[in-house]
Amino acid sequence: MSPIRIASSLVFFFVLFAVQESAISLVHFPVAGFSLYLAVAIALIAYEDHDGAIIMGFLSGIVLDLSPTSNAPFGQWALILTLVGYVFAANRESIFDATSAPLTFVLLIAFGVSASLIFYLVFGLLLGESNGSFTHDIVLIIGNLVWTVIFAPMFLPIMRSFQKVVNKSGQNK
Amino acid sequence: MARGSGNRSRLLLIILLVTSLFLVTLDLRGVSLTKSSRSITQSVLAPVQKGVSTVFSPIGRFFSDIKNFGNTKDELDKVKIANSLLKAQLAKVADNKGALNQLKGLLNLAGQGGYKIIPARVIGRGSSASFSQTITIDAGTSDGISVNQTVISQNGLIGVVKVVTPNSAIILLISDPSFKVGVRIARSQSIGVLLGQGNSQYQLELLDPTGTIENGDVLVTNGSQGNRPFVPGVPVGQVTSVDQKNSSLTQTAIVKSYANLNDLGVVSVIISAPSVAPKTAINPTPQPTITVLVTPTPAATPSLIPTPSPSPHKSKA
Repeated sequence: MSPIRIASSLVFFFVLFAVQESAISLVHFPVAGFSLYLAVAIALIAYEDHDGAIIMGFLSGIVLDLSPTSNAPFGQWALILTLVGYVFAANRESIFDATSAPLTFVLLIAFGVSASLIFYLVFGLLLGESNGSFTHDIVLIIGNLVWTVIFAPMFLPIMRSFQKVVNKSGQNK
Repeated sequence: MARGSGNRSRLLLIILLVTSLFLVTLDLRGVSLTKSSRSITQSVLAPVQKGVSTVFSPIGRFFSDIKNFGNTKDELDKVKIANSLLKAQLAKVADNKGALNQLKGLLNLAGQGGYKIIPARVIGRGSSASFSQTITIDAGTSDGISVNQTVISQNGLIGVVKVVTPNSAIILLISDPSFKVGVRIARSQSIGVLLGQGNSQYQLELLDPTGTIENGDVLVTNGSQGNRPFVPGVPVGQVTSVDQKNSSLTQTAIVKSYANLNDLGVVSVIISAPSVAPKTAINPTPQPTITVLVTPTPAATPSLIPTPSPSPHKSKA
């Protein structure tokens, strides 16, 4: 991944983070919230190749760690999303098949978001963080999964065309 | 070729994981670089949040409006405000009554209300991805707000100032799992700790092993040293159910907050607690004691010396 690509990805993630923190977080979703940031980050990780998925995971995690509302130590999200990036990279072939089937891809993104939240909770527990009761956490994870399934079909086509443009420009160079 | 690529990926993974763990360690050790990065982000985000919240707030209430569909929203709001004011008054009255009973009129009543506050508009909420319950307000250090100040809504306590930037502040809500506040039961004046649970109900743990909690008990803040982070006497909530388990040393209960954290538009930061008259040392005046001086009067003591009785004259034979 070129330095320009890394820089542009960082800018993209920061804009997405600003949208999440200032607009999406204001919506009072019933049951639990929806993280557009995580959903888009997981989708981008899924579109990348081996190394790209890991780097993209780390970059998206670093930006998410900047969240001033977070109680977690700086670097926790970077660690979690790097691991998620590696899981996606290790299963690259099967994930590549899923990207061509829209419904499967939506489910993959939703489960990716849920898995990230579970990893985050487990790592938080190891660090001694208090993240609420078990029931509350389960409701939050399931709520996020449901909202991601509902909203992902709206932004995935845009991301797919954007990804195609980025890939084409990369090949031309 | 594939093996080489796999090795490179693993090496990259290890480097990035070590970097992440290094950052986590730095943060846990309190290195200011990581702390200040979040503060800078908040300063950058605050104007965006302020602008977006103005436009976005009607959309933000979309789901709650659907829930209240069919009701007259204005009417409902008025009733809610009146009800919450009455609840707040009730909490204060109950608190004062309990204190009066205990101190038997020797102490003065705490002044009702009178907090010096800074009102602020809610411009953002914490992301669901962070598992933390926070809101962002449009007032900061330039308005006189600093860290560890009590934040209230029209109904009562809602949280405490966690992070402050010049024009914004992040409030840790009472529902956050890491939130703890010392509270007092207005009826019995027993002290306990209220813990956030991540939802709209909170857990009360009584510190006094002999104390009792009853359904409907009103809770107010106990106050902190120097009124930071909590000023005393702010209504917190009401006990909805008491845990009857005998296994624990102290009683626990579930508490419902007076404030609805999903419907926060304007909140207030208490910058100073009501001023109280300096406490005067009481020097109890001793009551005059009646001293009875008893002077022993010499009384006629019965003499033990036998008085010779007139002897019978011996008659001469």
